[in-house]
Parts: sequence; C-alpha cells; structure tokens
Amino acid sequence: MISRFSAEIGTAIATAGLGLTAVVGSLEYGVGWGAAGPEPGTFPFYIGLLVTAASLVTLAQTVVGRAALQTVLVDRIQGMRVASFFGPMVLFVIASLLLGLCVATALYLTFVMWLQGGYRIAISAAAGLTAAIFFYFVLEVGFQVPLLKGPFEAALGLY
Amino acid sequence: MENFAPLMHGFGVALTTYHVALMIVGVLLGILVGVLPGLGAPNGVSLLLPLTFTMDPVSAIILLSSMYWGALFGGSTTSILFNIPGEPSSAATTFDGYPMAKQGRAAEALTLAFLSAGFGALVGVILITVLSGWVANFALQFSSPEYFAVYFLAFASFVGLGGASPFKTVVSMGLGFAFAAVGMDTISGGLRLTYGFNELLSGISFLIAVIGLFGIGELLLTMEEGLRFDGIRARVAPRDVIRTIATMPRYWLALVRSSIIGCWMGITPGGPTAASFMSYAFAKRLSRRKEGFGKGEPEGVVAPETADHAAGSSAILPMIALGVPGSATAAVMMGGLMIWGLNPGPMLFIERPDFVWGLIASMYLGNIVAVLVVLSTIPIFASILRIPFAIIGPVIVVVCFIGAYTVAGRPFDLWLALAFGVAGYIFKKLDYPIAPLVLAMVLGDKAEDAFRQSMIMSKGSLSIFWSNGLVGTLITLGMLLAVWPLVAAAAGRLARAKSSSAAA
Repeated sequence: MISRFSAEIGTAIATAGLGLTAVVGSLEYGVGWGAAGPEPGTFPFYIGLLVTAASLVTLAQTVVGRAALQTVLVDRIQGMRVASFFGPMVLFVIASLLLGLCVATALYLTFVMWLQGGYRIAISAAAGLTAAIFFYFVLEVGFQVPLLKGPFEAALGLY
Repeated sequence: MENFAPLMHGFGVALTTYHVALMIVGVLLGILVGVLPGLGAPNGVSLLLPLTFTMDPVSAIILLSSMYWGALFGGSTTSILFNIPGEPSSAATTFDGYPMAKQGRAAEALTLAFLSAGFGALVGVILITVLSGWVANFALQFSSPEYFAVYFLAFASFVGLGGASPFKTVVSMGLGFAFAAVGMDTISGGLRLTYGFNELLSGISFLIAVIGLFGIGELLLTMEEGLRFDGIRARVAPRDVIRTIATMPRYWLALVRSSIIGCWMGITPGGPTAASFMSYAFAKRLSRRKEGFGKGEPEGVVAPETADHAAGSSAILPMIALGVPGSATAAVMMGGLMIWGLNPGPMLFIERPDFVWGLIASMYLGNIVAVLVVLSTIPIFASILRIPFAIIGPVIVVVCFIGAYTVAGRPFDLWLALAFGVAGYIFKKLDYPIAPLVLAMVLGDKAEDAFRQSMIMSKGSLSIFWSNGLVGTLITLGMLLAVWPLVAAAAGRLARAKSSSAAA
C-alpha cells in the first residue's frame, strides 16, 4: 500500500536530487563567461537550478495539500501484480548481460509462461526458443543489427 | 500554388513500388504497435529507428511516418472494440466508440473512426502542403536568437497550455534538458556531466528514454490493472463501409471543426491527445444531441478521431519547417532525421527538396494506404488481443530491451531503459507529463546552441532577445505562456476571495 502523498514526496525529493546533481556536476565545467561565450556548464547549471526549484514547489504544494492526497495510489493487489511483472524483467536484464540477449529471451519467455502463465513446460520452452530464434534471424541475419552475445553464441562459434 | 510542382515531384519519389511496399509494411507494423497496450507510436518509431540507419533517408522516413499513421489507426481500434485506448490520444474515442460497439454497431463505429481519421489526416497534410514552403521561407530569416525564441515558445506552451501541474511540467522538461547535456558539449567539443562514468561519455540517447518511459512504463501501468481483454468481435463488410460513407456528410460540421482544432493543436505543441479531448468536449457542448454523448453517439467518435489525426499529421509541419516537433512521435522522427545526417528546419527545403516533398507526398499516399489496410485487416489485429497477456506482455518486454540494445549496441543501455521504465511508471501515476521530457531531450542541444550563440552575438546581454520585433514578440509571448498558470491561479483566488467577502 502506497499513498499518493508519500509517492509525491518521494518523487519530488528524487527530482530535486537529480536537479542538484546537474548543478554540482556543471560547476566543474564553469558556469560563467569564458573566452568563447558561456562556459559549457552554464546551461545545465541553470537547468538544474530550475528543476530543483520546481521540485521544491511541488514538495511544498504536496505538504500543504496533504489532506487531499491521503489516497491509495497503489493497493496491495496492484503492487503484487506490478512486482510480479517487474521482478522477472530485472532478472531478464541481468540474464541478458551475462548470457546474451537471445539466450535470455528464450529463458525469460519460457519461465514466465511456465510459472506465471500456467502453460506446460514443453509448450513454454518451445515458445521461448521460437521467439529467440525469430529475433536472431530477423535482426542479426535480416537487418544485420548485432545483438548482445554471450558464452552460448561463442561456444557455437556464431561470431 | 507555388508548392504544386515540387509536390508532383514528391509523388514521383513516393510512388515507387518499393516505397508503396514500405508504406504497407509501416502501416501494418504501426497498427500492431497501436493495438498492443504498452507499445505506442513514439516507442514503435523508436524501436524501428535503429533498423533504418542503413536505409536511404527518404525510404526511412516513409517507413517511419507510415508506422505513425498505422499506430494512430490501431489505437482507435482497441478503443472501440476493447474500451482500452491503444494510444493515449485515442482515449476520447472510447467514450462513444465502445458503447456503439456494445450495441452491435462496431462495424459502423470502426468505419466512422477510420474515415474521419483519414479526413483529419488529409486536412493536416493539405495544410502542410500549403504552409510548409511559406513557413520555411519565413524561417530562413531566423538566426540564433529567433531559433531560441521559437524553442522557448514551444516549451513555454507546454507549461502554459498543458493540463498537468506547471511545476511538474518544468521538472519533466528540465530533466530532459539535463539528460541531453550529458556527454559531449556540441560547442566546445569537451565532455561534461559524466561524473567519471565511462558509460555516460557518449551521452544518454533519447531513444532509450522513449523506449523506457513510453514502453516499459506503460506496460507496468497496464499490468497493474491485471488486464483481461473482453473485446467485441467485429467484421467490417464492404456493405457496412459504403453505408457508413453515405452518412458521413451528416457530420460535416464536426469534421471541419475537429480538423481545425486538430491542426491548431498539432502545430502548437499541444499534441494529438489534447486535441482529441478538446474536440470531443466541443462536439458535446455544441451538439443538438447532447444527451446521446457517452451512450454511443456517432458524432462522439467522429470528433476526437478527426482531431487526433489532424493533429498527428500537422505535427510534422513545425518539425520539417522549423525543426520544432509538435508531438512526442514527431520528436522521435526529428531525432531520426538528425541521426541520418539531415538538418531539420528551413534549410532542408533547399538542401533536400526530394526528401521534404517525398515525405509530404508519402503522407497523402500513406494515409490512403492506411485507411484501406486498416479496414481490411482489423479482425486479424483484434484477435491478437485475445492472446493472453501472460504471453504478450513478456514478448513486448523482450522487444523493448532488444530495441534498446540495437540503438547503439551498449549493454549499459539496458539498465538505462529499465530505469526510465520505472520513472515512466511513477511519472504517469503522479501526472508528470512525459512528452516535454522527450522533446527537451531531442531539442536540448539545439536549444542550448541557439542560446549560447545568441549570447556570443550579444556579448552576454539578454537584450538580444528583444532586439527586433519578431524575436521580442516570440519571447514575450513565451514568457506570458510560462507564467499563465500562476496568473490564472492568482486571478481565481482573487475572484473567490471577492465572492466570499460579498457573501459575508
């Protein structure tokens, strides 16, 4: 259960933080007038200040309007649904970086269909493999766009 | 009609077998991304863009713009049959389209939607044909201060006219500018804002942001609802189409009014979503059959659809003539132009007339192709949504991440796309507008260059922005728009204080 109030506060603090990061980062590159006009840090510096200021106003508005914002933004069931979708997605990214995109695609689709979709393992694995092979041929062979490779492709000698 | 001869030349470019085939492929892919929740026009175009890097720019833009038309049509289909807008801009179509489909008039609703959409798009393209040369000629006189003023006006109108909180709009826009600044500084050539990370040396691509914000963020939002699609089956028979065409003249007023609203919102960066809602509201207020709205009134389908497509196509005008895109999708396409080595803006008309007029001619043809293709393939695409989401959802995830990797072949981009996905989900939940962020990322470097060159011209004095009538008017108008929400709020409070003191 996440209330709108806490989500608004968290987001405003995060955006203010990003704004400050830009401000601090730009200071390193000069924010004044140099030999060739405004120095490289000038524009991001003021943009960062603007973001920070606007975030603080949002923060203030949220605190002032606190009473109206005590509504449920994401309830338990919705949270579970999002988490059960997001979790495997993160694992997919990690798997892609370790094993390559094709292998990760096959594994991800297989396990999501099998464990979450309620399909039989044989059907899930077949679907996952088909999708991976499809992407490989369309992109790598058809459009000649290289995909992220892993140890499996290396073992097959594909590149 | 000084633009007639180049337009005919453009048709010569667009009307080749290869290009018509590309249009059909683009429209089909577009309908697919339009129908699938979580995939829409902006990230559909983003996903396809890396595959066009090796193509000829004219062919590439024809493919991408056809995909845009297809996506707009696909979005309306799901609105009518499933009560789920496949695109945010077709949300207003659900109000009357879905009730019509429930009453067994799905074929009529779909045909009306497609035809009025085609009409709106046509008006938009005619407007582009007539105005683009003129706008480009006008813009040829622009130098850096004028360009900065145009960018400023575009961003100020997001703040002033957007529905969201003005401060949230500023945050979203500012973050876009900040992300655009990471990496190489285009004027000095030095690196900046990399914080010592090698991964940030080449900057943050706007394509990754679009794939994350629009694709993954939208998917998370869709999952939250625990989607079950209970659609209405529809088959569009030629007889229904002809019967519906015969009723079209009845809605001439709605068609004309909605086209005007759409074109206006498309050229100014209001975008298709705002246009369709505004047009629906107008139609409802001005109709003689007010009480029928929301219960299956055909005019309630005609109005938002016409405006949506008129806005979608006229958003291309400022993109090619000024280099300021009117919608998120146009912003992505403009980014594509820059990647292909073209320079969007007035010089494009002189340097690459074949590209500009080929694109404009392809917009006429593409929309006709789109109407025909969408009418004949709708049952197939509607059946895609009957595949369980447990399969469709993960497949879209895979497509998004593979798309993110193909942008530049950098593993780090997968993490970035994931982060943008989370941000997109939170932003959507909390009503932060996303389009300004994308626009700022695409225009960031150009806006900054224009500003810094103006400063160099004036030796650091801001007075250059009021140095002539044109730039002064644009900047002043922009400032008025930017502070407009504050003025309106203050006036509202004042009026309330007055009325309450009068009551007491």
